[in-house]
Amino acid sequence: MKALVDWLDERAGVRALWANIANEEVPGGARPRYVFGSVLVFLFMQQVVLGILLASYYSPSATDAWASTAYLNDQVTAGWFLRGLHHHGSSVMVVVTVLHFLQTVIAGAYRRPRELNWVSGLGMGGLVLAFALTGYLLPWDQKGYWATQVATGIMGSVPGGEPLRLLVQGGTEYGNLTLTRFYTLHVFVLPLGLAGLLAVHLSLFRKHGVTPPELPPVELEKRMQRFFPSQLLWDVAAMAATAAVLVVLTLKTHGAELYAPAQPASNFVARPEWYFLFLFQLLKYFEGPLQIIATVILPGAVATFLVLLPWLDRAASRKAGERLPIIAAVGLLMSGVATLTALALIEDGKNEKYQKGLVAAHQEAERSRELAKVGVLPAGGDAVFLNDPQVQARMLFKEHCSSCHTLDGVGGSEAPSLTRYKNREWLTSLVRDPRDVRFFGGTKTHKDMEAYPPSELPDDKLRAVVEYLTSLIGEEGTAVDAALAAQGKQLGEGGDLNCSDCHEVKPGESGDGPNLAGHGSRAWVQRVIRDSSAPDLFGKSASMPKFGKKLSDPEIQQLADLIAAQRHRKGDG
Amino acid sequence: MAERDKDEVPGVAPGAPAPQLAAEARRDFLKTVGVGGLGLGLGGVVAAPALAYVAYPLTHATVSGGDGFLQIGKSADFDESKPLKVDVFADRRDAWNRVVQVKIGSAWVIRNGDKLTAYSTVCPHLGCAIDYEAHRFMCPCHKSAFGADGKVTSGPAPRAMDELEVQEKDGRVAVRYQRYRQGIPEKEVI
Repeated sequence: MKALVDWLDERAGVRALWANIANEEVPGGARPRYVFGSVLVFLFMQQVVLGILLASYYSPSATDAWASTAYLNDQVTAGWFLRGLHHHGSSVMVVVTVLHFLQTVIAGAYRRPRELNWVSGLGMGGLVLAFALTGYLLPWDQKGYWATQVATGIMGSVPGGEPLRLLVQGGTEYGNLTLTRFYTLHVFVLPLGLAGLLAVHLSLFRKHGVTPPELPPVELEKRMQRFFPSQLLWDVAAMAATAAVLVVLTLKTHGAELYAPAQPASNFVARPEWYFLFLFQLLKYFEGPLQIIATVILPGAVATFLVLLPWLDRAASRKAGERLPIIAAVGLLMSGVATLTALALIEDGKNEKYQKGLVAAHQEAERSRELAKVGVLPAGGDAVFLNDPQVQARMLFKEHCSSCHTLDGVGGSEAPSLTRYKNREWLTSLVRDPRDVRFFGGTKTHKDMEAYPPSELPDDKLRAVVEYLTSLIGEEGTAVDAALAAQGKQLGEGGDLNCSDCHEVKPGESGDGPNLAGHGSRAWVQRVIRDSSAPDLFGKSASMPKFGKKLSDPEIQQLADLIAAQRHRKGDG
Repeated sequence: MAERDKDEVPGVAPGAPAPQLAAEARRDFLKTVGVGGLGLGLGGVVAAPALAYVAYPLTHATVSGGDGFLQIGKSADFDESKPLKVDVFADRRDAWNRVVQVKIGSAWVIRNGDKLTAYSTVCPHLGCAIDYEAHRFMCPCHKSAFGADGKVTSGPAPRAMDELEVQEKDGRVAVRYQRYRQGIPEKEVI
């Protein structure tokens, strides 16, 4: 080991390098309140490592971004954990940045000769927010997409901001170029900028050292400790505490949320990340031409005030007591931010529409991510919904069935409408008038059944018959009023209705009309799709093509599921 | 911080009592151990999952699909007069993408009575696409020629054309499409 260090030292001077770092003097001794800068350096480095890891699976294009994020988050081992650390890491970075800022203000560390430390630090704080803003869009999910729309919208609304907006988003609308630009900013430009400012900030810090407590120089000298190991232990302990918070946060939330893929035609209620909520809230108070107050004037005034702080502070010493106006101003600023954030949260908490939208968004997110597990079509993004069996079934329906059958108002009328097929209303209307175009009116061969007008079959009896027909479907998940159905059975089999003259109800037997046992169930619909001319189905009068050889078994199942589920649909028809 | 908790380089402070220096050194040693231990832990939080994450493709199929029998046509499409070239399509998975019915290769299919035989169009020599002309299979690149039974009749090909498994059922024909290592006498699946 020593030989290796000797070798390295001779060539690279590592001992002097280390001594330069380790022996840095901390006047007045190591203190916990010096840790924030180091924790930020640690967080930045961790974000860089995590970002590189994420980039190894992520693809920045409008068609691939969401699908690749869903893949790395939901399928790649530990992907959710690393993405969660990166996502929450930005929140933690914002919090520690604010703590670092407050510590600097309270200690008066921005004062001469450290004005440039202060300004470079503010610059880095701005970059931390820019990182958060650009990173938010990259998953190309509903939340990132719509929240960022608001941000670029604001950019476009300020005087002279429109060209800037077009430049940043790479065109008049969001698309591939928006993503590649945000990606370039987030992954190359901002990290280089931050690293550069950090180098300046650190070298200035090394030049001036920590801002020690207000003690006589002799005392500071007496209590002096070295950076290594005394201050570094505090630093590393603080990093460990931060990392622990980050890990717990990530485990508790199971990583970062990923909403459904961006759908430009939807109306997602967007909210920015929590640390931008105060700006979001501020916007609510300034409408129309006054909006610029919230978007430019107030933030600009605050930024100017902060940059000029070292020159505004005219106090004779760093003692907090002598700088009360400054500390009060910053305190007011921070409590303003806190109040606005709290107001935004409270208003959203009470906003029923927003809460409902949030629940729906979570459900859609879960659904889309489940569907993404079998892969997303190259059309990308919300093409994931084409994986939905329901959607596939509807596409099959459109291709093979809709020239004769109508579903939800679209399709032919040569065969019965299948919208809410075999629910009670459908059955009731059928018995009343089977030759209506909604039922068999458009068919060529199914015209045998007579209508049952109210004079022959009063409403209450029809209700019983319909209940009986529903019970004959014989499928689980359908609540049937057994007494009513029994009444209907009597009417149908005995009575004057003569249903049983044509319709059998014993499985397998055939009559002039279709056997009604299981009629309308999944299995029954599948049989009809395959070949409707079996004697117990539509027999000789069947005119529907046989799809048994045209469609695959899974396709027939999907279609049957779609049709058989019609009678469970809620709402009016 | 206690007032006595100084962090001076041992031996520099003149007149400091020896036991105090030893205690100082011990404290520094413990602090160093603390820094090292916590530092390792910090690295490990990311490094351990990162290893599993980066190595994911070693234990999971990231590109897949096209295994098993793939439909290439109806029985009636193939007669004894001459071989028919068919394209083989399959659904593929590529990490997060699902691609429906992309062409993954082609095959020559020839009927001999009841039996259908399929040959990969990939030349076993160096992988060019084999043609059929003048009652024999010809590779246009290096002039390997094959008989109707797929055996080499002339040219540099090291083995017969690669036969693919065929399945004929209910009037439909399917093949199992596979690729084989080129340039060697043995037929070896890649």
